[in-house]
Amino acid sequence: MKGSVIKYERDNIDTDVILPGPYLKIHDYAELATHAMEGLDKDFHKRVKPGDFIVAGKNFGCGSSREHAPIALSYSGIKAVLALSFARIFYRNAVDGAFLLPIEIDESAYKDISDSDSLEVDISKNEIQNLTKNKVYKIKPFPELIGKIIEAGGLFNYKP
Amino acid sequence: MPKTLFEKIWDSHMVVEEDGRSLLYVDRHLVHEVTSPQAFDGLRMNKRTVRRTDLTFATMDHNVPTSDRSLPILDQTSSMQIKALEKNCKEFGITLFDINSPNQGIVHVIGPELGITLPGTTIVCGDSHTSTHGAFGALAFGIGTSDVEHVLATQCIMMEKPKTFEIKIQGKRKNPHAVTAKDIILSIIRKIGTAGGTGTVIEYRGETISELTMEQRMTICNMSIEAGARAGLIAPDEKTYQYLKGRKYSPENYDESVDYWRENLKTDSSAKFDKSFILSAENIVPQVSWGTNPAMTTDVTGTVPFPDEYGRGNPEEQKGAEKALQYMNLKPGMAITDIAIDRVFIGSCTNSRLEDLTEAAKVVQGKQVSAKVRAMVVPGSQLVKKNAEQLGLDKIFKDAGFEWRESGCSMCLGMNPDILAAGERCASTSNRNFEGRQGTGGRTHLVSPVMAAAAAIHGHFIDVRELDLN
Repeated sequence: MKGSVIKYERDNIDTDVILPGPYLKIHDYAELATHAMEGLDKDFHKRVKPGDFIVAGKNFGCGSSREHAPIALSYSGIKAVLALSFARIFYRNAVDGAFLLPIEIDESAYKDISDSDSLEVDISKNEIQNLTKNKVYKIKPFPELIGKIIEAGGLFNYKP
Repeated sequence: MPKTLFEKIWDSHMVVEEDGRSLLYVDRHLVHEVTSPQAFDGLRMNKRTVRRTDLTFATMDHNVPTSDRSLPILDQTSSMQIKALEKNCKEFGITLFDINSPNQGIVHVIGPELGITLPGTTIVCGDSHTSTHGAFGALAFGIGTSDVEHVLATQCIMMEKPKTFEIKIQGKRKNPHAVTAKDIILSIIRKIGTAGGTGTVIEYRGETISELTMEQRMTICNMSIEAGARAGLIAPDEKTYQYLKGRKYSPENYDESVDYWRENLKTDSSAKFDKSFILSAENIVPQVSWGTNPAMTTDVTGTVPFPDEYGRGNPEEQKGAEKALQYMNLKPGMAITDIAIDRVFIGSCTNSRLEDLTEAAKVVQGKQVSAKVRAMVVPGSQLVKKNAEQLGLDKIFKDAGFEWRESGCSMCLGMNPDILAAGERCASTSNRNFEGRQGTGGRTHLVSPVMAAAAAIHGHFIDVRELDLN
């Protein structure tokens, strides 16, 4: 996966800013995507390109169980969120529906990666290459079961 | 081997456990209009049915208007979502408490009220505040729409086993009418942080918890998710059994059930928790949130913090506080009691039950809402509303200048017409003060029902311990 970075230097980016409540009535995923990150960044929709990554701090996706949050990011083109840590329901929703990869990075990678950097993420090697800065970062491997669900393409395709 | 209450419920619901994955049986599935439409579409697409229609209950709460229910719903997208739930429940054979039902209400208020929520059961719902039901000794967690579909189809959920987290609250509150369950849980989140409970199931224990009523325990468990926990639990006791007796869906062989619950639903004295936190209730004072997450909370007697002081050397925390103060338009050092309020919202799955309204009404009785404030009370369910009206609470609120509305989630999450305008500041009994949660640009202060009521009267926060609430 190759793409460029949209970085938010913030902890606790919650589901209400990822996809604000009033849009939970929308059923069309493409339309949902036009409101992604609207609570934090009104220009996100104009800026995001297919294959982009979000980089953020701790406890990304805290709050509501709305699956609309990872759906809106996914249909905006976001392939993975690289964060210091995730809230559990967001993490689970992202994996279950195969919407995007919730990837945990460490402090040094978080500090080093800048907005607009070009990255290549390889989950088979558990590493990220920063093509702009010519650096390599390790990512926290997915637990075995989660890795298998991701490989299968979500909860419904996963066969134990 | 000695076990915690969580482990007992977990083990008794295990269908299969291998390779780190567990398939857990679900006893009750609660469904609402916002997180279910795609799940039903998925069932239809794959020609699946609902496995246990008798264990699945639905209501509409998130986007229902709280104004006159005899009028049509003006918002077309809300109306469509509500109609979709009606159609889905009919097609799949699920019990629905619809907008005109005397049992309609916020899903986490009606579950216990109808005796759907029972000790020792597993409960899921496509809503993060499902943790509320843990107050009855049920293992209850919020799930997303993919999992809703999975549970509808299989009545099971796949999970990794969470860790156990004991939160012990000791001692007696000096003024339990002014220092409420909401103040206890806000104090806990303030101390352990918004991710302090991540990956755990919290069991709240100790003398203070035993003394709380069932409705107060629900307020505590409700906000477990704001500390990042999967669920919050309180072991059932005589108060629990008394509360559930004679409810619409409580078991017919009630005494036998109680015998079983008494015997089986407590943490063994030598059981070990993965993590522990102890708090003394004696020194808790009424709490008011000042920032944009529930951990950004302080004492009503305190001041808005300086970001560097709040960050305690952590630059990320400091930056977070700076951004929060900017959004909230607050100056460091300002007294909390000097914060002027535009709106007051008494409601939500955290604080919209009969006791919440009764306590708030004591503050309001014979007084007038400040001329600068617009205040509303949104009972959690039609049953709460009816009971409150029998006690004459509606009259107390209306005479004081409050709006008395129909039941639903309302201004907690801004999905229906009850929203804040940009820049408006609200004293709210809800659970999240995230940016824009109650309306784009709206500013939320999380407080207890008595604090919200006092803010409505005075136009700003006051130390509610000074009021006579007995």
